[in-house]
Amino acid sequence: MLHLRPENLLVQKTLTEAWNANENGAPLSLDRVISDFDYTTLHVSNTPENKTVLWLSIKTKVWQSALKCGNGFLEHLESKYSNFPGITPTQQPEQGYDYTLQVDLAQLQPEAMVQLSLLKIHVMSFAFQLAFQEFSVLSQQTQDPSSFSGSNDTGVLRHLQYRDDESIYIKPSNDRVTVIFETFFQDETDKVFGKVFLQEFVDARKRNRSIQSAPQVLFSHEPPLETASVTSNRRTDKDRRFITFVLFPRHFQTPELQFSSVCHLALFRNYFHYHIKCSKAYMHSRMRYRVDSFIKVLNRAKVGETDESEQQTRRTITGRKMVY
Amino acid sequence: MSQSLRPYLTAVRYSLQAALNLTNFSSQVVERHNRPEVEVPNTSAELLLQPMHVSRNEHEQVLIEPSVNSVRVSIKVKQADEIEQILVHKFTRFLEQRAESFYVLRRVPIEGFSISFLITNKHTESMNTEKLVDFIIEFMEEVDKEISEMKLFLNARARFVAEAYLGEFVY
Repeated sequence: MLHLRPENLLVQKTLTEAWNANENGAPLSLDRVISDFDYTTLHVSNTPENKTVLWLSIKTKVWQSALKCGNGFLEHLESKYSNFPGITPTQQPEQGYDYTLQVDLAQLQPEAMVQLSLLKIHVMSFAFQLAFQEFSVLSQQTQDPSSFSGSNDTGVLRHLQYRDDESIYIKPSNDRVTVIFETFFQDETDKVFGKVFLQEFVDARKRNRSIQSAPQVLFSHEPPLETASVTSNRRTDKDRRFITFVLFPRHFQTPELQFSSVCHLALFRNYFHYHIKCSKAYMHSRMRYRVDSFIKVLNRAKVGETDESEQQTRRTITGRKMVY
Repeated sequence: MSQSLRPYLTAVRYSLQAALNLTNFSSQVVERHNRPEVEVPNTSAELLLQPMHVSRNEHEQVLIEPSVNSVRVSIKVKQADEIEQILVHKFTRFLEQRAESFYVLRRVPIEGFSISFLITNKHTESMNTEKLVDFIIEFMEEVDKEISEMKLFLNARARFVAEAYLGEFVY
């Protein structure tokens, strides 16, 4: 399991179960809370009046900052589901959640289930979408000589706070989109391991020719200049790290490419921390093995046991045991 | 094995062989106590022998503190950078938590060293002294090897993970 999938498997499974049960004419009564990365919770439940209609609600840290990114956030989410029959956003989200979709099982299509399980990614993708749109406006301006001002035009810095103290900053400019992750290591060991991993992210592109066209990755302790307007007035912790991805137009030319880039970027932190944990686990199993081999060497030094076994095997030439 | 490691280990081996000459010795201070004299505050100088300090460089040292009924061996494992520091710390802690199955391992290393062993006359009576020395020497060899292997593994994994992630962006 090298890559994390963007879909939430539990949501998919729950919806499939509900759909199958509905097809068989015995709709399930559901009330499930499903969690996702970065303190996201999803809630699947029946509507009070009808068992064949489900509510899928989401609560996520990123919601508040995504709302602030620009106008049309709810329309953006709506547009993701408008092609699928049976999915309608509710006017009022469920109590304690940020957004609720009403799902009619009778009309639900299998492809729609995958899209429903991507709800969290769709929430995060809004800020990226705006940045990509702004990029196309900016690049048009540069190509048009009459409006070219000579300076390097840059767009608005968008900020997604997806965990309590970790954020993503997205800044479009006329030839690229810069995505900056602000991250924070709580554990001393994670910090050192993280440094090794991040350094490899920076160097991977230089070393391996086959991934030359991947986005450029930069890593620093100091906040990059792009985020200066947001981070300068805040005391920067010495445990903070900034990881910058520079996306070139080839990474978001078509909507499909945009979607896959956003999926990977949204899961960057999870991917990276997941592999730090994995290497720690591997080291543990390795140390366990090493301890066993050391104990074996030490046990060879013991006197008592070897003497006993010698006595047991002492036999006469005809094979009988010696008796003292 | 590198040129300077061999004489270092040989020196440790001979020093240990010389030090592991232990006898049963009851406490002179507390009645009916039999305690490792190297570990207790001692007023009688004749019970403690001259400590031996074998040093390969400032990062790799061994301190052997002999006494009449016990020897304390402390090893400083090479820690070149902060990754090695963490790995050595994790590894020695892991061993110390399993000290009861190691008999001769001390749960806490003495100040300035990575790991300590305490060998008492009980151990030399129930174990072959020569094999016990072999164990310490093998331990010293293996620890260095293990730490550098773990470090290499971490780097290799980081590289692989980074390339796999960035590979997803190649269209």
